[in-house]
Amino acid sequence: MGNKQTVFTHEQLETYQDCTFFTRKEIMRLFYRYQDLAPQLVPLDYTSCPDVKVPYELIGSMPELKDNPFRQRIAQVFSEDGDGHMTLDNFLDMFSVMSEMAPRDLKAYYAFKIYDFNNDGYICAWDLEQTVTKLTRGELSAEEVSLVCEKVLDEADGDHDGRLSLEDFQNMILRAPDFLSTFHIRI
Amino acid sequence: MSAYYRNNGYEEESDYPDYSGSRNRTWGHLKTQDYPDSSDALNNSGYPSTRSNPYSADYRTGPDYPGSIAEPDYPGSRSNPYQSGTRSNSFSAGSRRSSDYPISLAEPDYIGSWSKPYHPGSSREPGYSESQWNSDFAGSRSSGNYAGSRTNPDYLDSLGEPDYPGAQRNSNHPGSRANSNHLGWIPTRIPEYAGSRINPYMDTLGEPDYPGAENQPSSPNFFGEPDYPNAEDYQNSPNFWGKPDYPVAENGHDYGSSETSEMTREVLSRTSSIRPSFRHSSDGPLGVLERENEDYPESIAMKSMGMANPCDDSVPGAPGNGYVNPAYVGESSPCPAYGNPPLSGCDWHKSPQGEKLIASLIPMTSRDRIKAIRNQPRTMEEKRNLKKMVDKEKSKQSRRMLELNCCAQCLNSISRAYRRSKNSLSELLDSVSLWQKTLKVIGGKFGTSVLSYFNFLRWLLKFNIFSFIVTFSFIIIPQFTVAEKNTLQFTGLEFFTGVGYFRNTVMYYGFYTNSTIGHRNSGASYNMQLAYLFTIGACLVICFFSLLFSMARYFRNNFINPHIYSRGIAKLIFCWDFTVTHEKAVKLKQKNLSTEIRENLSEIRQENVKLTLNQQLIRFSAHLAAWVVSTGVAVACCVAVYYLAENNSEFLKKHKDPGAVLLLPFVVSCINLAVPRLYSLFRLVEWYEMPRHEVYTLLIRNIFLKISIIGILCYYWLNIVAQAGEECWETLIGQEIYRLLLMDFVFSLADSFLGEFLRRLIGMQFITSLGLQEFDIARNVLELIYAQTLVWIGTFFCPLLPFIQMITLFIMFYVKNISLMMNFQPPSKAWRASQMMTFFIFVLFFPSFTGVLCTLAITIWRLKPSADCGPFRGLPFFIYSIYGWIDTLSKRPSYLWVVWIYQNLIGSVHFFFILTLIVLIITYLYWQITEGRKIMIRLLHEQIINEGKDKMFLIEKLTKLQDMEKRANTSSFTMERRDVEQPGPLPVGERDAARDLRFRRSVQEENSKA
Repeated sequence: MGNKQTVFTHEQLETYQDCTFFTRKEIMRLFYRYQDLAPQLVPLDYTSCPDVKVPYELIGSMPELKDNPFRQRIAQVFSEDGDGHMTLDNFLDMFSVMSEMAPRDLKAYYAFKIYDFNNDGYICAWDLEQTVTKLTRGELSAEEVSLVCEKVLDEADGDHDGRLSLEDFQNMILRAPDFLSTFHIRI
Repeated sequence: MSAYYRNNGYEEESDYPDYSGSRNRTWGHLKTQDYPDSSDALNNSGYPSTRSNPYSADYRTGPDYPGSIAEPDYPGSRSNPYQSGTRSNSFSAGSRRSSDYPISLAEPDYIGSWSKPYHPGSSREPGYSESQWNSDFAGSRSSGNYAGSRTNPDYLDSLGEPDYPGAQRNSNHPGSRANSNHLGWIPTRIPEYAGSRINPYMDTLGEPDYPGAENQPSSPNFFGEPDYPNAEDYQNSPNFWGKPDYPVAENGHDYGSSETSEMTREVLSRTSSIRPSFRHSSDGPLGVLERENEDYPESIAMKSMGMANPCDDSVPGAPGNGYVNPAYVGESSPCPAYGNPPLSGCDWHKSPQGEKLIASLIPMTSRDRIKAIRNQPRTMEEKRNLKKMVDKEKSKQSRRMLELNCCAQCLNSISRAYRRSKNSLSELLDSVSLWQKTLKVIGGKFGTSVLSYFNFLRWLLKFNIFSFIVTFSFIIIPQFTVAEKNTLQFTGLEFFTGVGYFRNTVMYYGFYTNSTIGHRNSGASYNMQLAYLFTIGACLVICFFSLLFSMARYFRNNFINPHIYSRGIAKLIFCWDFTVTHEKAVKLKQKNLSTEIRENLSEIRQENVKLTLNQQLIRFSAHLAAWVVSTGVAVACCVAVYYLAENNSEFLKKHKDPGAVLLLPFVVSCINLAVPRLYSLFRLVEWYEMPRHEVYTLLIRNIFLKISIIGILCYYWLNIVAQAGEECWETLIGQEIYRLLLMDFVFSLADSFLGEFLRRLIGMQFITSLGLQEFDIARNVLELIYAQTLVWIGTFFCPLLPFIQMITLFIMFYVKNISLMMNFQPPSKAWRASQMMTFFIFVLFFPSFTGVLCTLAITIWRLKPSADCGPFRGLPFFIYSIYGWIDTLSKRPSYLWVVWIYQNLIGSVHFFFILTLIVLIITYLYWQITEGRKIMIRLLHEQIINEGKDKMFLIEKLTKLQDMEKRANTSSFTMERRDVEQPGPLPVGERDAARDLRFRRSVQEENSKA
């Protein structure tokens, strides 16, 4: 309890609680995880809202993300400036979305962004190729990859415009019940 | 990253005013820089897209100025497609889209070239709205109204060019507007249209990419939106465009200083169509412009969606909602819940959109409000500000309300206190949550599917802890207060047999007293009979509801709908398991995934292979034989168990060895161990098209086996043991169940330590082709279900059973965990974990729990309790204790309501008859509603497909038309084309050029139709 008071004010904690899916304890745990990433960078006193960013190299080396093929995308999507350097807020945001409690739509929205490599608002064939390559570590031949992309577009592209919009994506996610439990990072 | 681009953008931007500013400069630019650069573009494969385009724009703008308007314009539009040809090759879809653009840009380009020289001033106005546009046109071309300005007859005359489509389109535009209110999907084009119309400005300014092109394809997304925006929207939308575009284009510096700082995150978060190219060519010029540009198209779309939702009313610069999920919105708030705020941080909620959101949040209860805020896909900063704003508004209101009534404030504080206490409660529960770390490791190494087994185990453990707490506090503790001294001797063997010493403990039914435990002085008394019945009943009722609710939750979350589960490669790709964090596991998973994808592909390739009649017959007979054999085995097992159980009593009399009682549980456990493995051997004979079918068949057979064995045992207990008139038959049944449970536990332990361990040794050392085994989730879960069923039945006869099960589950967790870490590898197939868990919980509910309820109901209503032991001794039936209680109550006037309830509701046939009828009617209605919804879904799906087809058709038509026009005008092009092609030897992509037009043309077609 004592620690909480020195790190965050009561109001800060309450706001964090209201804005994320975490309890007080989890927020503190996440804060210490965050602080551990760069102890010399992150102060132990957040009452004055210091403007601190932990660089992507450190974020990406967290055991939760280290081996994730999409770690860079995740960091980019959740970081404020898109380069993967994260403030505490971004950090909490990220784990809040990836937590068990987050609703499907929120998760789908961010998953869509993660898979949308070129940030054009659509998952196009190029994005899909990236995804497949990341997923299979280049084990599939180029022909197979393009076939997969074609199939995916075929399956999920509701309006046949040759790419997946957020609506297409959500529609598809609805049919994949495992998404809710797999798009989840435990802390 | 965005900031980085932005900076680059600025550097470039500073040039732009130049282009528009003076004709000469443009020319100069064209001459000096253009050509070298465009040749550059050829050399860099990725980069050219961004680099070459600005110059393509130059082409277009440049020639415009010097010569006659008509002619130079044309080359511009020609040159673009060519340049974009390279681009579309280097980047896939996104860039292909942009490559679409060039031709379609022809018109806007044109306008741009017009508007700039003539009205340089207007372009600097921040809100470059349509009306301004019109006035511009009116001024320059003396055409009074919008349509007129668009059509520009003189324009056409003077031009008479392929560019002309653009002008035509303009003339059509008003028409489409008019229609926008009535037609379902034409309006969707309009935002695009606006986009494409405004974008050209950017283009003329030297935009590398053609944002408009992106916007156009985006329209289909909005097709689905229920109400499509009306005309006002469009009038507004240009405003949107105008403001951000123009300043950027013309007054790049100002724009940067005022808005950039806020744009940081939004820019990224917003899906920018053109960004792709910039992303890859790291220092693309005009990154910012691009992004701005394409934000706005979206914001228009958003706005139009905003119309659909009650909140809208966007004013320039304040579009709010990019992502509106109607369902979601409906659930959480009337206002678009998901927005891509174009203005960031502190700004967006000052915008009307933000205000609307805030307004919609205010009337909510604090719980809903927090939920809604939490579910916003925004950054923490924005959420925090949103919350602050809402709270401020709220407090303002409440202060006003305070004058009216202080009751509201009272309620408010109560709700706040409630929320706080709930938070702390959830924190408390969270701290109790078991094995969080272990589960994380399991998930990290084996993924969600294996994790689901352990979650299920934990869930059952919680169930049993709860049952134990209830029975312990309401039956066992009272019994302790009156316990007699146990005279039986304790040897170690009782732990296995459950007989002897344990007979006279709180463990079994027979030990409980039938007396009323009274307090010595006060009149308070505790009726053991009632306590026993009510506690067990309450336990079961609570189990029933928690099962029901968790089942319902699973069903709701997982959308059980078998026909949509047909092979989905998309699900393989987008359902990467983010829980897996272990390096090896990730690699293995990637490998497995690629094999699975390959399998899936080959499956798709061969899907049309039809089997001959002969083969079908063979397969069918194999299935039939397998079913017959498996059912036969199950029946044989049941019969064997029944006869064994029947003869067991005589056998026990002959053999005085106390261990002999273990024979029946041993046989049952052997069956449970061996037969499922036999079943899984059937896969060698049977051949299923889909592995899923195989899994389900196996599951059904196993469930059938286990449930029928339990069923036959219940039959034996209730019909043979209970009727045999043995002394204290309830205790005997309790002992039997205890032994079964214990034996099952021992077998599982042995299986984990020996079976799985040996299997690993064999797989690793001797037959390496077998490799490591995979964790059989289905079989393990079924074992848990089997044990849980026994516990539920046994709780009545042996109230301590939940406690025993609690311990065994606790041990099992660790044993399975160790075995898993040592002997297993992650599953190679994507296992539909959630779907399977839904199925398992359903199985736990339906045959298992309902069967238990039936068994216990028969026991309580139909069986005679033993005469000399247990709380119900001396009664004809168990239920008579309740009858007696009601009788006593009816003598006390203050408890008459209980009697009334009992007589009129619980004991009344009529009430149940009516209740059943009502439930049936409601069920039927709901069933009909679901049927209707199914049809609706199908129709909507068809509609989406049809609209897609529509679009394709129009695009095709458009391309054809374009080709025709091209051919017709070839002669007039030749000159200009030569002009353009000579300086910049850009690759010619005829195909792309054709595609480019699609959208523009489609709009045109639409409009002309309308």
